[in-house]
Amino acid sequence: MADSATLSVTMLGAGQEVGRSCCVLQYRGKILVCDTGVHPAFSGMASLPFIDALDWSTVDAILVTHFHLDHAAALTYITEKTNFKDGKGKVYMTHPTKAVHKFMMQDFVRTSSSSSDALFSPLDMQMSLASIIPVSAHQLITVCPGISFIPYHAGHVLGACMFLIDIAGLKILYTGDYSREEDRHLVKAELPPIRPDVLIVESTYGVHTGESREEKESRFTTLVHSIIRRGGHVLLPTFALGMAQELLLILDEYWKKHPDLHNVPVYYASGLARKCMAVYQTYIHTMNANIRSRFAKRDNPFVFKHISNVPQTRGWEKKIADGPPCVVLASPGFMQVGPSRELFELWAPDARNGLIITGYSIEGTLARDIMTEPEEFTSLKGTTIPRRISVDEISFSAHVDYAQNSEFIEQVKAQHVVLVHGESTGMGRLRAAMQSRFKERDEDVKIHTPRNLETLNLSFRGERVAKAIGT
Amino acid sequence: MASSVFYKFSSQKNESRVTFDGTGISVFDLKREIILANNMGKANDFDLYVYDAATKQEYKDDSTIIPRSSSVVVKRLPASRPGRGKASMYISGAAPALPTSEPVQRSGSSAPTWHKGAMSKRFDGKEEMPSSSIPPMNPITKSST
Ligand SMILES: [Zn+2]
Ligand SMILES: [Zn+2]
Repeated sequence: MADSATLSVTMLGAGQEVGRSCCVLQYRGKILVCDTGVHPAFSGMASLPFIDALDWSTVDAILVTHFHLDHAAALTYITEKTNFKDGKGKVYMTHPTKAVHKFMMQDFVRTSSSSSDALFSPLDMQMSLASIIPVSAHQLITVCPGISFIPYHAGHVLGACMFLIDIAGLKILYTGDYSREEDRHLVKAELPPIRPDVLIVESTYGVHTGESREEKESRFTTLVHSIIRRGGHVLLPTFALGMAQELLLILDEYWKKHPDLHNVPVYYASGLARKCMAVYQTYIHTMNANIRSRFAKRDNPFVFKHISNVPQTRGWEKKIADGPPCVVLASPGFMQVGPSRELFELWAPDARNGLIITGYSIEGTLARDIMTEPEEFTSLKGTTIPRRISVDEISFSAHVDYAQNSEFIEQVKAQHVVLVHGESTGMGRLRAAMQSRFKERDEDVKIHTPRNLETLNLSFRGERVAKAIGT
Repeated sequence: MASSVFYKFSSQKNESRVTFDGTGISVFDLKREIILANNMGKANDFDLYVYDAATKQEYKDDSTIIPRSSSVVVKRLPASRPGRGKASMYISGAAPALPTSEPVQRSGSSAPTWHKGAMSKRFDGKEEMPSSSIPPMNPITKSST
């Protein structure tokens, strides 16, 4: 380990990649881990972060930013299969994150135990859940003498937080995935009230700046409508939670305004999501003003008028696929296996049908490969299927784009910025762009892009006085 | 009676074992069994490192024979060249010549797995099952818990 006045940042995952977020912070003998995710393009042991590089019994705390699998799904393995519990380490996440994490993991265990990929059992999962300490946004939490943190809203998905961490006086802001745009149900990420020494920030979209919310929504609804008009089916592969709720809010509203669509069903194919709807309803108070005021008027925005659940019977995919035009939101978002994959294979050969990719697609998954619009692809059974279905990408994933990220990075004013959760080329461009912005303004800000297990050592001059953060 | 070598990923609490016939197993074969048993063959982002559990010395040479009943520690670390992890090399069957007169005998049940690998595809174009390149969990390796 480096000397005591040096902060070491080691990525066990999400270093120049998107997936399996896991960031280890070491300072003055304390060890903190932010996020414990899996890599969606891999399965089993290979999907875990590089956890062999750490003695987990020495960890003081694990902080999980949000319920997405690429940030949270390795937690069970770490708490139950490593020596983490031999130490004094604690695990924290927000109340809604914990509530949804439970359902996400039940689903994860169910889908992965069907293969030889099962990393842990349902019992392990329950043990792990029991050890999670739920916290609230803006609450000051003292982990142990010398370590405290405050969660701030990060937008992105229900319960998502960034953590403002204080280790022996050194302040680090770890954003996790975040959004600076108020969408239909969530507040946007907050700018923490104090200036941290180090900012560890996601860079999913690199230097790409997206279109405006209005343009995006109208492009999306117009496209859906035109696919229906040409007699096709619309497939929206999406994760059961998070963006799905956002898309449902948009579609429900559009359907309301277009009576000609009332006989066209919109299916939401997720048992998991049905369970989680209760969590969404419980945490309406953490959402934005639009949602809260509708709820206050007894107009529960999460009771959709034009959305139907798919029948719980086996083979529903085939039935719906053979039926009249419809819209289906099906998981998983990357179409690796499961309902979205099955529907895709059934609909791919017909040019009337349309596929709309609405989220960020991770390298190595079908959702990413299909964007090159190949003439054909290999089905799960190994046969070759022609692709005539139209493919469009309209991203609603609640990540900051370049305009929002660069503005946030400038406002945070940290002396060191560590870019994580981005592919290496995009991250490299973002670093170059930020470096030239800071140079123009004659500000000395260092931008780092560590690879996995390439430890970044940052030295800080002068004594840090350990004191509580916040007001 | 089959022989065993016990292994533990360095972050793991519990040991697992690889069983085989003979008095030892090569580092190459051990890595292959571990990759297969943990279904890691598809990932190209890591390399495996094997260490003696007591001395913490790395077994750098894949042809080294680890005596039966030994305990080793395994680390899965990022591939030295990103995206060029060596996992597939271990399971594709491209074994280097073992400098030992005592080849490791596989037990009968594992043999079909071995021959159903990528090699056999070349001889039988009809066998298009994608799963044929991903052998099922090797029955000779099982977790001790
Ligand atoms: Zn996320
Ligand atoms: Zn993420």
